[in-house]
Amino acid sequence: MNCEESKMLLADYWAQTLSETKELEFDAHIATCDLCRTDAERLGALWTSLSKIPAEEPSPALRTRFYDTLAAYRHGLEAAPRASWKERILALWPRQPAFQMGLSFALLAIGVGIGYTARPGVKPVEPETQEVAALRGEVTNMRQMVALSLLQQQSASERLRGVSYAVQVPSSDTEVLSALLKTVNQDANVNVRLQAVDALHQFGASPVTRTAVAQSIGKQDTPLVQIALIDLLVDLKDKDSAPELMKVSSDEKIDAAVRQHAKWALGKLQ
Amino acid sequence: MAQVGSGDVAKMAVLFERHNRGLFRYFVSLNRNRELSEDLVQDVFFRMLRYRASYDPNQSFTAWMYQIARNANVDQAQKRRAEVVGIDEFDDRRPEPASDAPGPEETVAKGQDVALLKRALDRLPSDKKELLVLARFQDMKYEEIASLLGCEVGTVKVRVFRAMRALEEIYHTLSKERTA
Ligand SMILES: [Zn+2]
Repeated sequence: MNCEESKMLLADYWAQTLSETKELEFDAHIATCDLCRTDAERLGALWTSLSKIPAEEPSPALRTRFYDTLAAYRHGLEAAPRASWKERILALWPRQPAFQMGLSFALLAIGVGIGYTARPGVKPVEPETQEVAALRGEVTNMRQMVALSLLQQQSASERLRGVSYAVQVPSSDTEVLSALLKTVNQDANVNVRLQAVDALHQFGASPVTRTAVAQSIGKQDTPLVQIALIDLLVDLKDKDSAPELMKVSSDEKIDAAVRQHAKWALGKLQ
Repeated sequence: MAQVGSGDVAKMAVLFERHNRGLFRYFVSLNRNRELSEDLVQDVFFRMLRYRASYDPNQSFTAWMYQIARNANVDQAQKRRAEVVGIDEFDDRRPEPASDAPGPEETVAKGQDVALLKRALDRLPSDKKELLVLARFQDMKYEEIASLLGCEVGTVKVRVFRAMRALEEIYHTLSKERTA
C-alpha cells in the first residue's frame, strides 16, 4: 500500500468500517510511514472528540407545534366540505400536477393557520367556532393514534413516548386503556412496564383497570413492577382487589418482598 | 393528491419521534440558529408528508429524508438572503456565547477541548461542515452520504479526510489564538 491508497482508507479507519484484510494492510503501512500514522492518529483523535460535542436539543414547543399542525393538516384535507372556502378550493382542484402541488402548499398554509389558533395556552380572540371545536376533537383523536402506534414500536424509548401520549387521551378511551394493559403485561422492557403502570392512574375510575391491575400482579416476573401495581391499587383505594392481594400474599412462588407488600396493602385497604 | 389517512398520521408521528432531534441538530450545526432550525424541522416533516409518494422503499430512508432536509435548508437560505442582506457576516461577527467556555467535563483526554472543537467546526466551510455533521452526528454511512450527495462513495471518503484536515487546521489556529 502506498500513501495515496492509505489516504483513501482513513475515513473507514476512523469509522471502523475497514474490512479485516484492509485493516491489516493499513496497519502495516502506518507502521512504516510516519506521515500517514500522524494523520491516522491525530485526526483520528479529533474524529473521536467530535462525538463529544453535546447535541443541541429542540425546545418542547417543537413537538406541540408539530402535532397541532399535523391535526390541522389532516383536518383541512378531510373535513373539506364543511367550510365554504374549502369547497371552492376543492371544486377548483386542477387536473395538472403542477397546480395541484401549488394548491397543496396553499392548503398547508391554511392548515398551519388553524393550528396556531388552536394552540393550547393561546386564547382565541373570537369565540370558538365549530371549526376549532372539530379540530380539538381531531387533536384528541390523533393523540390516541399516536399513542397506539408508538406503543407498538421496536425501540423502548419510542414505546416510553407512547406511554406519555397515552396519559394525554381522555380516560374514557378504552382502546388506549387496553393497549396500556397489554404493555403492562407483555412489554419486554421493565422501564416501559413501570411507566405504563403509572399511566394507569389516569384510567383508575374504570373497573376494567382495577381488575386487570389486580390480576397482573401474579403474572409479572419483576418485583419492581409487582410492587408498583400493588401501590396503584392502594392509591385507587380498590377494596375489591382484596381477594387477589390475599392470593399474592400467600403464593410461595412470588418474591418475599412482594408478598410482604401485598400484606401491607391489605391492611391499608381495610 | 392522495388523502392523508390516519395511517399516514400515525406514521408521521413515529417518524417525528424518531428523527426530530437528529434533524434539529443537523440544522443547528449548519445555521447556528435555534428558532430557524425548529422551523426547518417542521418544514421537513410536512414536505415528507406531501412528497411521500416520491419515496422509493428500495432507497435508504435516511438518505431520502436528508435530501428533503438539504432542499429545505437551501430554500430558506435563498429566502433569507433575499430578505436580509449580509446576515451571514452578522452571524460571523457575533461574539461567542459565554457557554462556549469549556466546562470541566468538556475537556477531554489527549488535551482536546470540545468547546474549541465546536467553534472550529462552526468555522469550517459549509460543505465540509455538512459532511462531518452527517457522518459524525447523524451516524450516516458513507454509502448513504454518497447517495444523498449524488457522488461515488470513494469521493465521500476522500472528502471526509480533507474535511478533517481542514478542521484540524482551524482547531490549531484557534488554540494558538487563545494561548497568545
Ligand atoms: Zn504513507
